[in-house]
Amino acid sequence: MRTRSILALAAALVVVSAGAASAQSVPIKLASVVPENSIWDKNLKQMGAEWSQQTGGRVTLTVYGGGSQGDESTVLRKMRLDALQAAALTGVGLGSIDASFNVFNVPFFFESYDELNAVTEALTPAIAKRVEGKGFVFVNWGHGGWTQVFTKKPVKTVDDLKKAKLWTSAGNDRMVQWFKANGFEPRAMAMTDIMTGLTTGMVEAVPTTPLAALLFQWYKQTPNMLDIGLAPVVGATIVTRKAWNAIPAADRPKLLAAAAGVQKRLQDDVPRQETAAVAEMVRRGLVVSKASGPEWRKEVDALASTMRGEMVPKDMFDLALKARDAYRKQHPSQPVTAGK
Amino acid sequence: MIGILTLLEDGIASLALAAMVVLPLAEILVRRLFGVGIPGSGPFVQHLTLWIGFLGAAIAAREGKLLSLATGTFIPPGRARDGATTFASAVAACMATILAWGAVQLVLSERETGSIIAAGVPTWVGQLALPIGFALIALRVAWRAGKSWPRRILGAAGIVAGMALIRYPGLLENRPAWPGLLVVLLAAAVGAPIFAILGGAAVLLFMSDGVTPATVLIETYSLSVSPTLPAIPLFTLAGFILAEGHASARLLRVFRAWFGWIPGGTAVVCAILCTFFTAFTGGSGVTILAVGGVLFPALLKEGYRDRFSLGLLTTSGSLGLLLPPSLPLILYAVVAQIPIEDLFIGGLLPGILLTAMIAAWGVREGTRFATTRYPFRANEAAAALWAAKWELAMPAVVLVAMFSGLATAVEASALTACYALLIQAVIHRDLSVRRDLLRVFVECVVVIGGVLVILGVAVGLTNYLVGAQLPAKLVSWVQGHIESRLAFLLALNVFLLIVGWLMEIFAAIVVVVPLIVPLGAAFGIHPVHLGIIFVANLELGFLTPLVGINIFLASYRFKRPVLDVCRAALPFMAILAIGVLVITYVPWLTTGLLAILRP
Repeated sequence: MRTRSILALAAALVVVSAGAASAQSVPIKLASVVPENSIWDKNLKQMGAEWSQQTGGRVTLTVYGGGSQGDESTVLRKMRLDALQAAALTGVGLGSIDASFNVFNVPFFFESYDELNAVTEALTPAIAKRVEGKGFVFVNWGHGGWTQVFTKKPVKTVDDLKKAKLWTSAGNDRMVQWFKANGFEPRAMAMTDIMTGLTTGMVEAVPTTPLAALLFQWYKQTPNMLDIGLAPVVGATIVTRKAWNAIPAADRPKLLAAAAGVQKRLQDDVPRQETAAVAEMVRRGLVVSKASGPEWRKEVDALASTMRGEMVPKDMFDLALKARDAYRKQHPSQPVTAGK
Repeated sequence: MIGILTLLEDGIASLALAAMVVLPLAEILVRRLFGVGIPGSGPFVQHLTLWIGFLGAAIAAREGKLLSLATGTFIPPGRARDGATTFASAVAACMATILAWGAVQLVLSERETGSIIAAGVPTWVGQLALPIGFALIALRVAWRAGKSWPRRILGAAGIVAGMALIRYPGLLENRPAWPGLLVVLLAAAVGAPIFAILGGAAVLLFMSDGVTPATVLIETYSLSVSPTLPAIPLFTLAGFILAEGHASARLLRVFRAWFGWIPGGTAVVCAILCTFFTAFTGGSGVTILAVGGVLFPALLKEGYRDRFSLGLLTTSGSLGLLLPPSLPLILYAVVAQIPIEDLFIGGLLPGILLTAMIAAWGVREGTRFATTRYPFRANEAAAALWAAKWELAMPAVVLVAMFSGLATAVEASALTACYALLIQAVIHRDLSVRRDLLRVFVECVVVIGGVLVILGVAVGLTNYLVGAQLPAKLVSWVQGHIESRLAFLLALNVFLLIVGWLMEIFAAIVVVVPLIVPLGAAFGIHPVHLGIIFVANLELGFLTPLVGINIFLASYRFKRPVLDVCRAALPFMAILAIGVLVITYVPWLTTGLLAILRP
């Protein structure tokens, strides 16, 4: 067995070092931090299969999931030097390309998935244009779920939350400074350090989605979930302009159509899986409490307004606001509860 | 003039190291007093690691201390050996040139994005350590190609060759990489530094695929600035400071007084001490760097054979990885989506088993070679304990800092370094700040740099293998060829051993675990058992001859050729291999306690 393994390794090495992409096809390497075999990973691979099929193999997509190509800033560095051609990014990476993506992080800006979808649709042309200016082509939106706050101790008021050591993602110093300036106690850490942070008490509150809390088992260290619907987690797939231009022009609409299909599927599946995830965690002992009292809204609205101009470009903030209010006018029956 | 430049280089590197100690400590203090930390303290400390690492590597190149696999001493002295040295140097200079150019590409591309580290300092300024480091290495390696001008010119020809490959990438693109790899291997055999072998292979493979060599540098950068990495240089510094004074003598006296009556008592203590140290410092290798320097002379003094002592310490450096709160276990639980507590409980008996096996080997050594045994005397035991109280409190300082939530791993390591300096320079006055400090800092920086430059280019090579989807291909092969559970477990052991030396442990966990977990489930293996098998195998991988990280670190720390360390570690590796097999085929060791505690 051992010799055969080694032989196989040697053979694989030879294949690997000899293998050069055939000249006709445009090979696209796509990196992502979404966990391997997760709903997002499966959808990306599905998209790759469709791309290859519908272009008759002229475009091949290789998906590197699970952060195997590094964190998002590393992935973006590789894209700028053409070592990777595409990425499915979360807000961290997207925000570093263009600050207008931060509009999705504005607390309580959106009240439902439908509202979110309406606003993303309205923003897409403007965002695609801005991204294009940075050397990337916008392909589709990804949906990660809705951020709730998972805490060690029960959190009732805004002041309770301000007292807790709050995890925030490393690599975004502006966000950290923003939290500090508004009286929170942010602790910037890599996502992989959350569990250690929770175990040792370096972190006491983690804003994250129910899906992630279940997937990474953080909820076991944080038995309380504040069902507050802070903000949606919005991702996007982008391709480098260089690779995009290498794709025959006639094939590009086919790729976008397949990508739109993936976007639609995620829009439908993620909210459903999220509800199931909360139910599963409750079954295992999670205590869900609704945010109560008007001071949450007041406080967070005040915080949100400081993000306009500072975290999100003013024109993009206003564009999103306009689209949202237009949607609310058309759908006045929408119940005013955060989250779902 | 050259003297001043040398002093300047040493001074900058030492200042950076000092800043690394001070910044995290200031952060703890400010956070305690004012509730908020210092802006950007974390990112700055991470970039200081990068600077220390690559200035350290440049200084190592200046001193001719870049680590090699072979020394070329098997070639008869004279013209043949001189020629081999010049050839190895030229190849290394060529690779360092390409790496320096890749680093320039990275810096230029980063500059365009306008990203900042924190407090308005641009990221590209932080990254400058890479091109500067590799350029200095290229020049110095070429200079050291020989003592005569013709040989130095031949060395410099390597730099020119590197520039040619950069200018005409078509020389490599879409061509097989093996001729270039062969040249690198040949250079490796006659004494080229390891960074040139791993980095050279990565660069050639990428370039043959038409991918810029800057990719390697992107990986180097992201590894060098990873948030927990600064703990390694800081624990190293603590160890260097401790090793300077008479701390080892004081600790030895305590060991003797308390455990000296057991045959092989000091060896047993080494195994236990290293286990605990590794369990809570998490990263492998830290132990060798931090406590190896204290324990090695102690063992030799008590009559343990040199080879035994070297092997014991090299091995002990990875013993605690199965015991809580080991970081690899935590990461495994996260990636495999199993409860961390279960993995901690599961790792208890296997972890204790491995340490016990190594300790037993120590007792055997003690019995066979009649190492010094000391009768137990209560008076002496108490006096020795009192004399070494400050050193003995060191683990407590780290543990309390980390588990009280007071400090992160990095801050705890800074605290340890500061504490070590305090007891050595102020309490015991073993170390003179004016006379010794700069020298100790520079020695430490050279060791850190030598290791970091290798790890840095190795992740580049890893990234190439990941890009070629090699791990995934191997797994699908296993799935297609193996039917029985026993055969699968054996194949798994072999596979993980290979993974263990191909990949850095955290990357290995992140990449391979999601692929292994469905396989394990298909063969009916308990998920916690699979996790323990995984980490135990990687632990063994650290000792793999020639490529295991512990081998490198021990070679550095104890100033021994890599091959000597390999030979010394071999019997211990065999013992651990038996242990890993027992852990693999006796699932009860892992799941027994679990079944009792979680019915």
